[in-house]
Amino acid sequence: MNSGITSIKLVLLGEAAVGKSSIVLRFVSNDFTENKEPTIGAAFLTQRVNIGEQTVKFEIWDTAGQERFASLAPMYYRNAQAALVVYDITKPQSFIKARHWVKELHEQASKGIIIALVGNKVDIVSSGGERKVAREEAEKLAEEEGLLFFETSAKTGENVNEVFLGIGEKIPLGRPDEQSGLQNGGVRITDDQRIDLASTGSGAVAASGCNC
Amino acid sequence: MLSPERRPSVAERRPHFLSFSSQNGCPLVVPHLAGIEDPLPESTPDKVDVLIVGTGMVESVLAAALSWQGSNVLHIDKNDHYGDTSATMTVDQTKKWVKEVNDGKFSNCYTNAKLYVSAIIGSGDRGFSSRDFGLDLAPKILFAKSDLLSILVKSRVHQYLEFQSLSSFHTYENDSFEKLTNTKQEIFTNQNLPLMTKRNLMKFIKFVLNWEEQPDVWESYAERPICEMLIEKFKLERPQVFELMFSIGLCYNMSAKTPEVLQRIRRYLSSFDVYGPFAVLYSKYGGPGELSQGFCRSAAVGGATYKLNESLASFDPSTKTATFEDGSKVTVSEKLVISPTQAPKYSQNIPEQKYEIHRLTCVVGKSCEEWFSEGESAAVVVFPPGSLKSGNQNVVQAFILGPGSEVCPQETSVWYLSTTEQGPRAEMDLDAALEAMETSIVRESSSDLENDESIVQFGPNGETMINSVKLGQSFKEYIPRERLQFLLKLYYTQYTSTPPFSVVDPSFFDINDENSKKLITGASDNGVLYTAMPSAEISYDEVVTAAKLLYEKIVGSDDDFFDLDFGDDDDVPIHNANYENAIEDDDDDEDNDVDMNFDVNRQGTTELVGEMEI
Repeated sequence: MNSGITSIKLVLLGEAAVGKSSIVLRFVSNDFTENKEPTIGAAFLTQRVNIGEQTVKFEIWDTAGQERFASLAPMYYRNAQAALVVYDITKPQSFIKARHWVKELHEQASKGIIIALVGNKVDIVSSGGERKVAREEAEKLAEEEGLLFFETSAKTGENVNEVFLGIGEKIPLGRPDEQSGLQNGGVRITDDQRIDLASTGSGAVAASGCNC
Repeated sequence: MLSPERRPSVAERRPHFLSFSSQNGCPLVVPHLAGIEDPLPESTPDKVDVLIVGTGMVESVLAAALSWQGSNVLHIDKNDHYGDTSATMTVDQTKKWVKEVNDGKFSNCYTNAKLYVSAIIGSGDRGFSSRDFGLDLAPKILFAKSDLLSILVKSRVHQYLEFQSLSSFHTYENDSFEKLTNTKQEIFTNQNLPLMTKRNLMKFIKFVLNWEEQPDVWESYAERPICEMLIEKFKLERPQVFELMFSIGLCYNMSAKTPEVLQRIRRYLSSFDVYGPFAVLYSKYGGPGELSQGFCRSAAVGGATYKLNESLASFDPSTKTATFEDGSKVTVSEKLVISPTQAPKYSQNIPEQKYEIHRLTCVVGKSCEEWFSEGESAAVVVFPPGSLKSGNQNVVQAFILGPGSEVCPQETSVWYLSTTEQGPRAEMDLDAALEAMETSIVRESSSDLENDESIVQFGPNGETMINSVKLGQSFKEYIPRERLQFLLKLYYTQYTSTPPFSVVDPSFFDINDENSKKLITGASDNGVLYTAMPSAEISYDEVVTAAKLLYEKIVGSDDDFFDLDFGDDDDVPIHNANYENAIEDDDDDEDNDVDMNFDVNRQGTTELVGEMEI
């Protein structure tokens, strides 16, 4: 029954209005404009992806605005196995900010974290708008820092799934019980000592009251 | 019952947002999902309903409750980290904090901080780094059946956190650590207990689970210390009395009154077996500091604005304008809530913090698994009155966390000691307890022991079981050759307005009531609500009470305090997700299957120890 489902905590970073939430909404809903129903109350969105024999469950954390005044908590980065650093290819300032976030991730996050640098809004360029961040420049940063690199359009969906599949492929998969030893490498995959508070008692009551 | 003054709920206040209508008519709160729904403004708001200063545990729970209720909250902290009086700090942050205490930055809240840090921490290549440690200013444990736990689940904040069990409680007696006998099963199987004692103990446990309904048993002891009742009425002996009062009840001294101790003993017993064979949990990576971050994140998702490194410079009660150190201003339409550590200069209404709590935090160069139950990384040791060389009159409580809790590296552990003893005696008690712990751990982990078969026993699967009772007896005179390495030692005195053994008193918040006579005319903080400093209580039990009282002061009623129903059991997927290839539809049922993947390997407790999936 538990044939290798691996949860991956993925955090989003990037300047305001670069479309980081839109990329995620596109990914989890595959529908950019009409179906914007976020996962209720969870404060992170989830999506499953099959990669070969494996099912990867992405647990995608939004900053909830706490990055605006440099107030992200250590909890946000903790045990994140992957990060999307998003910028807008028509806004150079957002690329500078992306460099900052990459640096921040190297300082704050787990050592083995997989970071994808994502240049969003390629649809603007395709429809005649001006590109302000050269692809080469971003590729160079990605190479220097060991990042995955994609250019996407959350609006058309171009390359969006590829970002997540690319991350999924880079995460060392395997049976969860083999992975628990990875803790010291900075990446948590499962943890036997962990207790699910919602699995009984008041939690069960809260969850069973309404099964909408 | 909803009070007439109840303010509109989140859903009512944001009618423009996606309205989910649920068929079975249960309330459904749709989150604001800050950042997804609206573009975020570049500056802090000009006007808010509530400004909260300080991101401690109570303030953070309050911020989340208010945000989800629909209030517009600005939550700031003068530090570069979350947590305030309940922070979990790195070694560097601890150093900075100690300096601030000794500079008198919050002399009404903390004094007399003394810090020793070994050169091994922060020495680069071969040592530990400051960030390898998470040290709590006010460490806490969580009872499996408690109001905070319900709120953690209801608010979904538990999804941000990881909890581990703590079943190992020791009572220090006669120079040895007696492991707590706390289950019916253990009482029956414990060969050291005489049959009569077993019977009496069972009788008491049966009574205490239902004590309120049996006033005939305890009423005549209502105003007397509970030990009189335990001895006279239940014929219990000193070791059992001490265990019940100090390990299970976590009381501070002999004079504890009967009803409140019964309440506390029941708290432990009714928490037992809720999630498994233990009564207490703690959060990984840090205690209240970690929970504060979780509630702050929840508040942010609910729409609150966060700004660290921001201090409140002044407040004008007549215009309700708060001015920050950086010169920006905000109008506070309803209430300003301030932690006593972060009040602006010239505040005149900060409540008096009458009671001392003396704390000693150590990081030692041993992982101390000798004290933990199998598969766990934490223990509680209590030193009852009179058990220490110092002749302590009050209990010293010690909370020990090993590397599995991720608050310290391998081969180390963190020891939190505290006492409610007042004045200079307190430090002597702490030192005596520390010495007892040091002797005990060096003794128990000594390699000489492995050659003595009467002390080291082997379990059915070949695991070593050290007989701790024997240890205490036969090694009383054993002088360890080894010395314990201290990586860090921190003494400090914390002050609180909450007396030992009590939760926040509602009248505490009336001091600053605008109609109250106690107000100082013209003071700049009239009408401000001050939060209470953490009390000596080692559990989280006061937090929700305190946050609720503040909530009621602000909103008018606590009816809708965390009145949330997110309506989804797990991760309700975006509907209509229709993937052809790699991405498959999310499926609730399947999810449940995964969630029910219980850990069955330990003692056949199949039901409750679960793998946390989300």
